[in-house]
Amino acid sequence: MNLGKKTSLGLGRSSTGTFRPQLTSLVDVMAIILVFLIKTFSTEGNIITPSSDLELPVSTSTKKPTPRWSIEIARNSVMSEGTFIASTRAYAKQDSLLIPELFSWLENKRRLRADTTSQALIQCDKEVPYAIVKKVMYTCSKARFIDFSVLVIQEE
Amino acid sequence: MKLSLFQENRLLSETGENNEIDIAPVMNMFIVLVTFLISMAVFTHVAIMEFTLPPNVGAGLDQSKGKPKLRLTVRVGSDYMGIVLGDKLLDSLPVAQGKFPFDTLAAKLQMRRKETAPQSAFQDEIVIASRDEIAFKQVIHVMDICRETGFSKVGLSSATVNPEAGK
Repeated sequence: MNLGKKTSLGLGRSSTGTFRPQLTSLVDVMAIILVFLIKTFSTEGNIITPSSDLELPVSTSTKKPTPRWSIEIARNSVMSEGTFIASTRAYAKQDSLLIPELFSWLENKRRLRADTTSQALIQCDKEVPYAIVKKVMYTCSKARFIDFSVLVIQEE
Repeated sequence: MKLSLFQENRLLSETGENNEIDIAPVMNMFIVLVTFLISMAVFTHVAIMEFTLPPNVGAGLDQSKGKPKLRLTVRVGSDYMGIVLGDKLLDSLPVAQGKFPFDTLAAKLQMRRKETAPQSAFQDEIVIASRDEIAFKQVIHVMDICRETGFSKVGLSSATVNPEAGK
């Protein structure tokens, strides 16, 4: 048995009798990963972090987001800045366009912050029916938000 | 005298074995770098799309007087997609088995934009009127098409069952 010979697993035994792993292939892999990561590295980053509960729609838009009042519409809930506000199931079948919980939340926050902005950012799950989006937009417009933008995943 | 100086002067290790480069420090550096880069990596880039509400909704009431000005409207429904100007349905594109005819819509929009330019005061404005059951991703797709066709200002609205009847 030749102990100095490399095995099929890339392990070899040195003359001192200890096994030494062949790190060459591992270095190759690491170098490839490193090149890939440096290539994809972005110094700009994302100013806005999409909510983890949402699967945002894909778009060809390239306009960079700016910080605004954020309203998140998940499949089952309406949230703002991570705070649960209302359940979408409760309002999906209603005729009324206004979501009272969202309206009062927006009004309260606006009063506390003494903010007069009219810009709102909607983060909406891609599978949410338009009926819910419409109600959220209507409620926001009642709370004096009239300039909307929607967060999307930029298509590569 | 021997001519080969290289062979005479070649340095060998003390044990006479071939030297091996110690790559463990390189590996350590790679691991640190890869971890750092993965933690900082941005794999998905986000963007925004801006839109407005129709002028007769909410606080953004249209203060302008006189006759309402005509805008092209894209009606998005699960039965058909349509291009509407005022109360006139210009094009109707049927939705077959849940497949929206986005390519045809883009071509038709391009054509209609040129045709309606003299009648429409807002050549770069369009309204997307969607039915309630439509998934939001389809609305975004239509918004993309409108933007690529040259409509820089997009408004979102609610669609009627029959645009010509207004119901």
